[in-house]
Amino acid sequence: MHLNQRFGMIMIIATLLVMVATVYILFDYQRDNREALARAQGLDLARLLSGMSWNELVPQAGRKGLLAVLSQGHSNADFAYGAVVDIDGKVATEVTRSGVIVPIGDIINEPTGWLGQRILPANDTASQVEFIETHAPVFDDGVHKGFVRLGYSRPGFSFSYYEMPFLASVMLPIFLLVPFFYFMLRREIKPLKEISQRFENISEQGGLTQIELPQSQALNDFMEQVGSYIDATQTRIEVLNREHDDLTMSSKLLTYRNNRVDAILQNFPDAILVIDEAGEVSYANARVERLIGIEVEAMLGRKTREWCNDPQIIPLLTFGDVKSNLQASQDTVDVRLDDSNEKSLQFNVYPLFTPGNESKILGRLVVIRDVSESHLMRERQNEFISHISHELKTPLNVLSMYSESLLTEGADNEEYRIEAVNVIHDEVERLSTLINNLLAINQYELGGVVAQRKHVRMHEFLEDAFTNVTKARGIKDLEFDLEIPREMSMVYIDKDLFRIAVNNLLTNAIKYSKPGGKVSMSASENEDSIEIVVSDEGYGIAESDIKQIFNKFFRSTDDNVRQQTGHGLGLSLARQIVLMHHGDLTCSSELGKGSRFVIRLEKVSTQIMDAAVS
Amino acid sequence: MNKILIADDEPHVLRVLKLSLEKEGYAVETCANGKEALTRLEQEYPDILITDIQMPLMTGEELCQHIKQHMPERKFLIFVLTSRTEIEHREWSRDINNLLFLEKPVSIRNLLEKIEAYFAGMTDSWRVS
Repeated sequence: MHLNQRFGMIMIIATLLVMVATVYILFDYQRDNREALARAQGLDLARLLSGMSWNELVPQAGRKGLLAVLSQGHSNADFAYGAVVDIDGKVATEVTRSGVIVPIGDIINEPTGWLGQRILPANDTASQVEFIETHAPVFDDGVHKGFVRLGYSRPGFSFSYYEMPFLASVMLPIFLLVPFFYFMLRREIKPLKEISQRFENISEQGGLTQIELPQSQALNDFMEQVGSYIDATQTRIEVLNREHDDLTMSSKLLTYRNNRVDAILQNFPDAILVIDEAGEVSYANARVERLIGIEVEAMLGRKTREWCNDPQIIPLLTFGDVKSNLQASQDTVDVRLDDSNEKSLQFNVYPLFTPGNESKILGRLVVIRDVSESHLMRERQNEFISHISHELKTPLNVLSMYSESLLTEGADNEEYRIEAVNVIHDEVERLSTLINNLLAINQYELGGVVAQRKHVRMHEFLEDAFTNVTKARGIKDLEFDLEIPREMSMVYIDKDLFRIAVNNLLTNAIKYSKPGGKVSMSASENEDSIEIVVSDEGYGIAESDIKQIFNKFFRSTDDNVRQQTGHGLGLSLARQIVLMHHGDLTCSSELGKGSRFVIRLEKVSTQIMDAAVS
Repeated sequence: MNKILIADDEPHVLRVLKLSLEKEGYAVETCANGKEALTRLEQEYPDILITDIQMPLMTGEELCQHIKQHMPERKFLIFVLTSRTEIEHREWSRDINNLLFLEKPVSIRNLLEKIEAYFAGMTDSWRVS
């Protein structure tokens, strides 16, 4: 319902309520007056009659009782009945208004209650009529003979037509004033309604109409101010709406960019940590957890000491005074996450400067890289270079010393000269072999080696290789055993390369034998393949090492191995050579009991080669 | 007679050095690794120790460290024969006194001159401290 109509309805209902209330108050006042009058008159009359004697009150023959006379002269319209009763309540005489029966009343015994007033219901209970009765004692010569009872109808709500003009005169002004106030109010309310309308318009984002100027000057001023305020508000709302739209757009764009940057950082191959000015981690990508083994959630918003207990890492990620040390830095530490997991981590720390202000630092970007592989490789390479330079320089040193001493000693000592020449020859051989090995492995790496295959008699080839090695290395007290069938198929191999492989296996077997141990080589043949076995009774290889022995530069950390010079190259090279011949090199070993290396060559491939050549 | 102890796993080196040094009038003892050298040092008091680095059982580096820790009162000159030229491979020797590196291939004449100078008391010019 429209506000205006609702207001009108409320006014009408309120008016009616006021009128009803007025009428009620008037009637109630009138009734109270009548009741008070009935009580006062009843009491006066009763006292008057009580002063009379019984005989005067009760009609005698030929004489009307005094009661009848009084009642007839009584002007009160509410008078209902008058009666004289004896002390037993029996009526001696009565006068009543037409249609009224004297109600039954209780007998009053106590002298204190002889004079009094009481409310009595009519005998006809359905009529709901009540009487206000005043009773007083009646005496005859001082003797209590009975009571006089005077009853007035108790006034209720009744309406008589003669009251109409009075009521109308009361109602009319009310009735006339209400519309007057209503129209007055409407006139004053009109601008407020328009404001309300404008507010509605704002909320609906509709256009606004100019308010008609109200008639009252005070209200007029007020309305002008409100109007301009609303105009300003509406303009502001429009601006805010535009800004909101812009913000939503840029927020979406930002979210997209943020997600994109986050995706890039999360998928970055290195771990990334951002540590703010307070030294707390403000960003960490998923890689951090894998490298350091600490959950990202556990480090965010916390200082390094609170989530890290590695004494090597803490100083790398703790920067103290932010202003100092604005240089990027790089450190590598070996971190042991658990017993089986040791990593080399490189920490690159870059200061994050405020954009446009190179002197103010926002925090630090830490890029953590797992350099275990390259670190290990570098370590092995470093070790390798150590071994190689030792291996190269040792014969060189011997060559140098002997040649230098030949100048002084050799001139007059024939025996020494021969010795020196022999040593020099051997050392040159040793150098040459080593250099060949190095060159070979280098060429393998570059993929430049092509096997120069020829038909080779296995028996001669193996016997020659075995003799060469065992004769040259007769340093230890070892037993050698060679078992090769005299008749073996010809094989199609690169003799020089294959010799390197067999040499390396035999050299290792000797190097890692215990004094008094046996080094043996055997060969066997079946329809499909040829097997060459090199075995020793030496220190053996730990199970964990077996997987790695064919890796380039690998050297066991076993003490017995460390005591021997070596460069982690021989087995790697041997395997590559065997693989090149489509064969297989395997190792089985038991720590403390010895090792067994098996070269297995497929005969099929050699026969195919035969066919291809012929 | 001045005593010199040589430790090297290369017998040819031992042979030539021993020959050359004995010819110059020094008493020369030889051994094949660091461990043997240590045993000798416990019994004898050489004036000079010449040692290779890479040797089985005990390397030259381990030998020198052991001497520094367990025989600080012993005063003798140590020549270390090395294959490496880089400074970082000599880091370990920083706080060992009277230690001198000789890079392979070693010139016998050069070595003899240094030894001679040492015994002549001209040690300060090349003492490593």
